[in-house]
This record gives sequence, C-alpha cells and structure tokens, in this order.
Amino acid sequence: MSDLDDFKQTYFDECSELLTELEEQFAAIDAGERSPDRLNAVFRAIHSIKGGGGAFGFSELVAFAHAYETLLDRVRDGRVEMAGQVVTLCIRANDIVADFVAAAKRGRSLGATYGADERKQFDALSTGQASEIAPPAEPADDDAFDIDFTPVRVELDIAAAGPATAGEDSFEQVPLTVEKGHWEIHFTPHGELYARANDPLLLFRELASLGDLSVVAKLTDIPSLADFEPFGVYCSWELTLNSPSATAESIGEVFEFVEGNCDLSIALLTPRAAAQPTLADLAALVRPPPAVDDTAPSFAALAEDIKAERAAAAPLPPTPKLLAVPAESAPPFSQDEPEERRGGLDDRRNAGIQSIRVDLEKVDRVVNMVGELVITQSMLTQQMDDTLRARYQELVRGLEVLAQTTRGLQDAVMAIRAQPVKSVFSRMPRLARELAQKTGKKIRLEMVGEATEIDKTVIEQLSDPLTHMIRNSADHGIETPAQRLALGKPEIGTIRLSAEQAGGNILISVEDDGAGINRERVMDVARERMVVGPDQQLSEEQIDNLIFAPGFSTASEVSDISGRGVGMDVVLSNIKKIGGSVHVRSRTGQGTRMTLRLPLTLAVLDVMLVKVAGSPYVIPLSSIVETIQCARADFGRAPSGARVLRVRGEYVQVVDLSERFQLPSGLDLGRRFVVLCEAEGSVKVALVVDDIIGQQQVVIKSLEENFEHIDGIAGGTILGDGNVALIVDVQGLRAPVLHRSAA
Amino acid sequence: MDSLAYRDDFTATQTAGENSLQLIAFSIGEQTYGVEITTVREIRAWNGATPLPNTREYVRGVINLRGTIVPIFDLRARFGEGQTSPTKNHVVVVMSVGDKWVGILVDAVSDILTVSKDDIHAVPQGNSMDTELLNGIVTHESRMVGLIDLHAVVSGTKTEA
Amino acid sequence: MRVLTVDDSRTILAMLHHTLSNAGFEVLQAEDGRKGLEMLAKEPVGVVITDINMPVMDGIEFIKSVRSSGLHNSLPILILTTETSQDKRDQGRAAGGTGWIVKPFDPEKLISVIHRVVH
Repeated sequence: MSDLDDFKQTYFDECSELLTELEEQFAAIDAGERSPDRLNAVFRAIHSIKGGGGAFGFSELVAFAHAYETLLDRVRDGRVEMAGQVVTLCIRANDIVADFVAAAKRGRSLGATYGADERKQFDALSTGQASEIAPPAEPADDDAFDIDFTPVRVELDIAAAGPATAGEDSFEQVPLTVEKGHWEIHFTPHGELYARANDPLLLFRELASLGDLSVVAKLTDIPSLADFEPFGVYCSWELTLNSPSATAESIGEVFEFVEGNCDLSIALLTPRAAAQPTLADLAALVRPPPAVDDTAPSFAALAEDIKAERAAAAPLPPTPKLLAVPAESAPPFSQDEPEERRGGLDDRRNAGIQSIRVDLEKVDRVVNMVGELVITQSMLTQQMDDTLRARYQELVRGLEVLAQTTRGLQDAVMAIRAQPVKSVFSRMPRLARELAQKTGKKIRLEMVGEATEIDKTVIEQLSDPLTHMIRNSADHGIETPAQRLALGKPEIGTIRLSAEQAGGNILISVEDDGAGINRERVMDVARERMVVGPDQQLSEEQIDNLIFAPGFSTASEVSDISGRGVGMDVVLSNIKKIGGSVHVRSRTGQGTRMTLRLPLTLAVLDVMLVKVAGSPYVIPLSSIVETIQCARADFGRAPSGARVLRVRGEYVQVVDLSERFQLPSGLDLGRRFVVLCEAEGSVKVALVVDDIIGQQQVVIKSLEENFEHIDGIAGGTILGDGNVALIVDVQGLRAPVLHRSAA
Repeated sequence: MDSLAYRDDFTATQTAGENSLQLIAFSIGEQTYGVEITTVREIRAWNGATPLPNTREYVRGVINLRGTIVPIFDLRARFGEGQTSPTKNHVVVVMSVGDKWVGILVDAVSDILTVSKDDIHAVPQGNSMDTELLNGIVTHESRMVGLIDLHAVVSGTKTEA
Repeated sequence: MRVLTVDDSRTILAMLHHTLSNAGFEVLQAEDGRKGLEMLAKEPVGVVITDINMPVMDGIEFIKSVRSSGLHNSLPILILTTETSQDKRDQGRAAGGTGWIVKPFDPEKLISVIHRVVH
C-alpha cells in the first residue's frame, strides 16, 4: 500500500526521537533517578515503537519490543525493580531496538536469534510463570454471552420496524420452519450502557445489516411520570433476525462493546420445532401487537400525563439523580466507580513544555521574511544622513526602535528553528561503546553542552562528521590500555564531545587524551601524495590541519571501523558545505582536539564592508582587530618570499584579496588598506583591500544553495542596495596554498 | 522589479501533447537556442552581478533573486565565443537545474516554440562546444535551434589555482 | 462530521488523519488527554478516538474527565489499544468509553467501528 509508505517515514522519524529519548532517560535512570514519570516515559516510548511497527508489519521489531514492553509495564507497576542488572539489560535492549528499526528501514532482517537472549531475560523477569506473551488473540470461542438453545415462542409482529417486514412478506418467512438462521435476541440495556454513549438504535442498525430484522420494544416497565427518572432505564427489546449467514459470533460481535452493561440472550431456534404448519396454524399465531399491561401507562398515556403535569406546573425533580437501575444486577453508575488503580498514575501532570509541530517549510518562509525585514530596516537606517537626523528626530528614534525590535524578532525566529544538538550527540555514546569493543580499547565518552541550540538544517549534517571524528580518535588517538598504563595515563581513555556558542558561531569539538597527531608520519604521507612540496616548511599547526587536505589519508592499514582511509577530507567538505570550518590542534603524547565552527544561520552578522576590484566584500567584525592604511603599514618579506606585515613586534601573513581572488585591482599599494584579522587559534592575518566603506549589519545567505563552495568565501549577503556582497572566510584564507594532489 | 516575466505556479505545463515540446527560445548573436519551458522560472533584465572569485570566465557572478543568491552564467562565454558586454537590454533567464536555480545571460529572448520530438536531430560532430553543451538540434521555421543541456552548462566551474 | 483524535504518536495521528479525512471526516488532533479536553471545550465533535498511554493525561483520565463534565453524555469515545488483554478494554469501558479499536488498525474496520457508534 503506497499510502503506508508515506507514513513509514513519519514512523521512522518518530522512532528516532523516541530512541533519543530512551537514551536520555536511561542515562538518568542509570544515575539513580527512577521517578514514576521516567518509568512511564520509557514504557510509552517502547509502546509507541511497537505500535507503529505493528502497523507496518515489522514483525521482528514488534516481537522484541513486545517482550521489552511487557517488562517495562511490570516495572512501572512496581512488580519489577528498575535497578542493577535490569538497567543494564534495558540499555542493551535499546541498542537492539535501534538495530531492528534500522533494519526495518532498510528492509532487512536481523535473523531470529538477534536479541533472543535479551528476550529470554525479559520473559524471565516479567513473569517467572507462564508467559503472557502471546500472539494477538483470536476471538475466544467462549465469549461472554449466553447462547440459549431452548426454543422460544415466536411472536409474529407484523407492524415491526425491520427493513424487510411488511404485510404479506412476513408470512413468507414462515418463522416456524426454523431454517438455519432464525435468531431470537433479547436485549435489556443497563444504565451504564447509555452512560457510555452506546445507542441501542445503532446496535439494531448494525444487526439489520446481517439480515432481516424485526424489533419489538417491551414497554411494560415504564413507570408513571411521577416515578420516571430521567436517567432511568425501562425499556427492553426482543429482536428477530433472519439471516442465512449470521452466526452466534457475528451477532455477538454487534454487542461486543456493551456486554456487561446489558442483559443479552441470543438464541438460534433449533430445527426440532414443529413440523410444517398449516395456514390455519399460522393464523392462530398471528396476534395483535403484544398487549401492554394495563397498569403501566403507554406512551400515549404518558404524553397525556406530561401535558397535564405541565398545565399544573408541577415542578420536576430539580436535579437528575443518578439512580440505581431497576431490578437486575447492574451496579449503579456513579462518578467514583471504584477500580483497581495502579499507584502513582493519577498525578501525571508533567511540568512539560507545550509544543506544536510545524512544517519546516512554514518556518523557512518566516525566516526568509525576517531576513528581508532586517535588510530593509538596515537600508532605511543607512539613508539617514546627518541632515535628516537633525531634522527628523522622531523618525530617527522610530528607526532605532525598529532596529531593536527587528533584532529581537530575528533572535526569536532563529530560536524557532534551533534545536539542541542533543539529538545528534545522543547517538555517540553507543558509537563509543561499539568502538571500544571493536578496538579492544577502554573509552569513555564525555558530553558537554548538549543543550546548545543550532539550526535544524545544520544539525542533520553533523552526524557524519562527528562520527568520523570520534572514530578517528578511537582508532588513531586513544592508545591501548597497556600502552596507556605504560605511559602513566589512566587506563580508560576519554573522548570529550562538547558544544558551545561563541559569538555568531557554534563551536563543536571532539577532544581526546590520546597520543596526538604523528606529525612526521603526516608529513611523510603528505609529501608522498604530493599534497605538499618536497621542501615546503609548515608550522606544527599547519601540519596538523593537513589531515583535512583532499586526497590525504594516513590509513595505509584500512581498518574495518574507519573504512577506507580516515575520511577527514570528507568531514571538511561537509562542514564547508554548510558554511563552517574545521580546525585541529594536537600535542604529541597528550591528545588531539578537533573543532568544528558552524555559523548560526540568519545571524545578524556585524560586518565591515570593503571593496576589492570594484566589488563589495564583507568581513565579519568579530574577526577584525584593526584597519591600517597601507601607506603607513610596515611590510616586509619572510625568508620564503611571502609578504608579511610587521605589527607590534609580530609578523603577520599578508593576503592580498585581489590577488587571491584573481580580480585585478588597478590601485597601487599605497592607496589601499589593510584589515588586520584574527583567525582560529588567535593567529592573525592581514587582508589587503582597495577600500573600506563602513560597518553594516547583514544577513547570511547561502552560496552553496544554488552554486557551490568557493575557497576563501564563507557565503553571501545582500546589502541594503540589493546587491550581493561575498563574505570573506578569514580562516579559510589562512590555509597555505597547497599543491593540487595528482588526481 | 526587473522581472520581465514570471511563472507563479511553477508546475509542468505540457499543453501541447505527448509528442511535442514547448521551448523558450533565445539568441546569442545570430544563434538561436532553446530550453524546455518547464525549466524556466523567470526572465529578468540584466542589472549587474557581483563577480565570484576563482571561477571560470563564463561564471558572471551572482545576483540577488528575492533574497536568494543565484549564479549567472554567460552563455556566449560558455560556448567559447568571448565575454558578453551586457547592457540593460540583455536578459537573464532564471532556470532550475536539478535542485538549484541558475541564471543564463543571453542577448534576447525571442519566443515560445512548440516543436515535435520527432524533429529533434542529434548534434552534428565538428564543433566540440556544441556536442558538449547541446542535447540536440531542431529546425523551426527555417531556423536552427540548439537545445541546451543545462547540466553540462553549469558544471565544471572552478578554476585551478 | 468532526472527529477528535488523541494520541501521542504522530505516526498514528497521521494515519488516522489520512483514513478519516478520506472517509469525509474533519479531523482534529491532540497529543495528550489534556490537549484533548481543550479541543473539546472549543469545538463540538461527533466522535472521539483516543489512545490510552499518553503523557500528561492518559486516555483513562481523559475519558473520565469527559464523562464527568456532564456535557458529553452521548459523545461516543473509541479507545485505541494495542493491548489484547481484556483488562485494558474493561478499564476503558469502566471509565466511560463507548467502544474500542485495536492497533494496528485496519482502515476499513476503523470506519465500520465508527459507523457502529455514530448516527
């Protein structure tokens, strides 16, 4: 069913969220927090995964989840304690469930034995006695209503409301010849039936779909108006159903919701009834509609009563009493029906945050419009020159308020699309566990700053790079336990995954306390693959960052974890695609730290607008240290021949943007300007531009959306005049110009 | 703003029948080229573009299309016929290629043609640019119209250092 | 006719929405019992379909609240349950539920069960 396929994606998305939640909840449970809320939450998570899985026929998943769910049900009941081994088992089970989900997504099977041990343990914990784990039960044969086989006298009701009964037809039915399929049903509803919004008329309607139905109402129990209780029940019915195909089961099914709230008897008249009657016999049986007991009022009489009462203005009982139903066994319907309640379930009001689900498209539209608003507001402000400022003070003030409000709106809108990195981080502990197992190393994963929020579209791109980086640390960074002990390090290696916001960026870093980057090896490989020239000299930092160079890979041993090579260049290109950058720093013997810097989209970027070869460029203000006129700058040459700038005792690399961007400048150096910037690791770089226009606020727009990444460019923005200005990627410009690898 | 024509509901309009194609035709000098009308989103007058560094000479730069940055390809330059010196009379045809929007700088847009698929011939060998960039040639009212292969036009844009 | 669907699983809500709107119902959605009550307070509804296990307020509490308000005595409420044991259904009925439908639900069965409890 192709319809189902649409929902599969929704289901898998939901599973992904639920699995993340399970990971979180069990982290807390493992730490000793076992509130009823948590236990209920984990139950519901597995319950939902199982439920959806059933709809799509993921039978392996459902079978496992069912066993797990049963245990969790016992746990939340208090019958099994969530502690020690049980917690460990559940954590393992979460991973197994995730595996089943992943397999289901790919249409694969994991085989009958996968998770079988854990299932056995669940079963053992859950019951200890005969397992309740059964396939969906077939409707039991011993259903709860009586089938009475004594023949019952038939009353021919010619005036009945059945669809097929009218005049002569009913004679044709000759009810006395009991064909198979003549049923007699007695039905007396109790008060609770009505209280649950069940309606006899609807039940009869359904019965009528099974065959020919005739219905007789028994009204003899209706009391006088004075004794008439509004919620009382006084009616019962006798029904006759002629149907060749109906069975006790199918008739019973009609009443399945209301059994227990009514008196019901269903009888199939046996063929042993009288022989073929003659017409005379039939005539004798035809009786007028059942005589109503004269002592009980008919409805007509009741109506008269009511009229009379009204005329007398006799007050009806002011409040309807919920009363005991006449005769039969039914307990009174009341508000506080005693029930078995599980302890602690009554008060489950979460202090939860209210939320709604919104189409991402709608959010994107709002984000874009706010972006336009920022640009327009910025343009308006730009138009303010001094004369205008002096003349229209109110206008100026108004624009200032507008600027503030727009800023606030922007922050709010960004926050809508921002999500905690938690959802990506939560997959990492499991990865670390697996890596530890496969490499035989002892690894502990620390996570910090999971609540840091980042744009939703960026989050999805993070998973692969983070996975690569953690694998890299586990593979090449962390030493074996023996090695570590020999080095005087703790046996368990630590990988620290952290996220924080800094300026207009999010910094995500993976840091390990392992061996650090083997710089000699890196240089060897780099020279071998011609990523650097044979005589090229590089700083330690530059060597470290070589691992991101295209075509670079130290994995001559192709480990089955990291696959082919290390994939660091893939990490870099992925990050660049979303407008970010990667940086690595390492200390031999002590460890390595890789940092991803990601932009906050729709950030109001405060920038300096400059001109290079007649085209506008912007440089993030946060990167700028100062600006210097070239005529006054102290230029020099490094031994390698590269131009440097001498500033306060420091020698700073010079990058001439018109040269770098291959755009002819036409201005001689003396008329140009230096913008001194600070990049990653507090290293400075001096950018040479043609002119400096001024400060602005801009909105970042993607270049990759319709084009592709360009080295040295971090993205685009739209200026107040509507033109596109490119954002200079300060960090990207710092990279040494490497030889292209021989492809 | 400078939009000359804009398709608001950007859905495929195959009104001409199963075996025919509707093209928007435009000219570069004396040559006429065409693209399927379903790929065209908008036609704008040329109003400048911000140049992109380190790209091929036929990548003219980028423009602001209602808040989105869209690259402009100089079609003449792409065919190796030199750079266009665009004026306000030149035209940018904004089209979808895969999941991206790109703009093509042309001299003028002529009209909408309906051609039969049967009339499309293979590109004759000889001119390597044509074979690389065209999907076929069709004759319409004694004019030869080259059918542009958009994917080929927009690929290979980075320059070597 | 309006149907209110109450379930914390958005997969189930989506599937219910699909089946029910194809059958001509106008579908309202809530992700827990409390939201369900809020929706009922705002708009009249012809039938309710609710899950049992939900955060904030579960299906049993929801049904009890609905019945005890006195405003919805003839509002049919169907319980969605994956439970095959009689226990859950009894609980649901006891709380005031009109009937039930078993998850995973067959779209035709869903419609026929609704048909069974509404005019």
